[in-house]
Amino acid sequence: MCALAHKLEEQGFATVALASIRVQAERTRPPRALWTAAPMGRPVGEPSDAAFQTRVLTAALRLLERTDGPVILEDFPEIPPGLTDTPDWVAPALPLPGRYGLMENWRTELQAAMPLWHTAQARFGRTSVGLSGTEPSSWADFFVSILAGELPVLANLDTTALSVRFVCDDVKAFYGEVAQAVGPKPSAMQVDTWFWRQTVAGDVLRAIRAAAMASENNALKTVGGRFFVPAPWVA
Amino acid sequence: MAYTQDIPQPTRDVVLNLPCPSFETAPFVAGLPLAQRRVAIVSSAALIRRGDKPFPFGSGECRQIAADTPPNDLLISHVSTNFDRSGWQRDINVVFPIERLRELAAAGVIGGVADTHYTVMGSTDPAEMEEAVAQIAGQLRQERIDSVLLSPV
Repeated sequence: MCALAHKLEEQGFATVALASIRVQAERTRPPRALWTAAPMGRPVGEPSDAAFQTRVLTAALRLLERTDGPVILEDFPEIPPGLTDTPDWVAPALPLPGRYGLMENWRTELQAAMPLWHTAQARFGRTSVGLSGTEPSSWADFFVSILAGELPVLANLDTTALSVRFVCDDVKAFYGEVAQAVGPKPSAMQVDTWFWRQTVAGDVLRAIRAAAMASENNALKTVGGRFFVPAPWVA
Repeated sequence: MAYTQDIPQPTRDVVLNLPCPSFETAPFVAGLPLAQRRVAIVSSAALIRRGDKPFPFGSGECRQIAADTPPNDLLISHVSTNFDRSGWQRDINVVFPIERLRELAAAGVIGGVADTHYTVMGSTDPAEMEEAVAQIAGQLRQERIDSVLLSPV
């Protein structure tokens, strides 16, 4: 992104980059950048906090007026509230794993989570689920086929590897929305910790990753090893 | 978290050791007062419209996002698992701050907001993005946009 800033500036446009990893901005030296302490994935700082976002953007855009460049790197002084856990946040109440197998337990959990997913959509006016083009009701059957060694390909996606990747992305998005359907705003780490340590879905994605890595389909093996489960949550 | 010590391992080492391009030049464009600037967003989140094909891994392409795209039509197709999506799931403005820019324009802080914004796959080697840069620059000129906010995930 900092490289893109450099190239656009060469084309005659004034640029300012938001920066999450300060050391990258220091090395790449874009014309103007504002570092914030927000987690990666939240360059503008804090969700559902228009005032905070406006302060970040105003601080960044003000750098466009500065004449003491090239290379201006400033730090945004405020700590985003969402950087720390929210004590009052309560994880969604989903059924504990039953005495059946992993996938049956997941079907139960997924079905129990559906009302909360609909609540989240009403709350936020949208859903971020949709990359795979499939409905949640089809996900368990799709993953059962992957665990059985089959290589299904979804419509609009070219390969099994991409099909599995985007269903995984949709599962994570679904649970991220479920985690935020009601109550106060959890931190990013609270959502991740709940999903990867306390839901059956987290175990399902780890199982899908293991199956992909054992596959003879090289694309599935490669994509599965890198892009289904974030490295900190693999084990 | 973007305090490096808070990024969990092994992601921290990956992020801190990403190769960074270096440049022989240091361009720096001066311009009008902020209240007269017209601003476009470039997001590295590989945003797509619902129903469109996701960005392929390693793609150097750029896609345009109309400013009036309904929030429910925008999806992140970036390949990386290293960044948070829960903020985006709650509020598109943490990644694509279109509503905030509109408010800043209405308040007179900036001069205006582009009709067209841009998105790329941030993990792609910048050397693969020369054509994308040319496309973005061409459209920016056509819309008389002078300033760009880069929003990396």
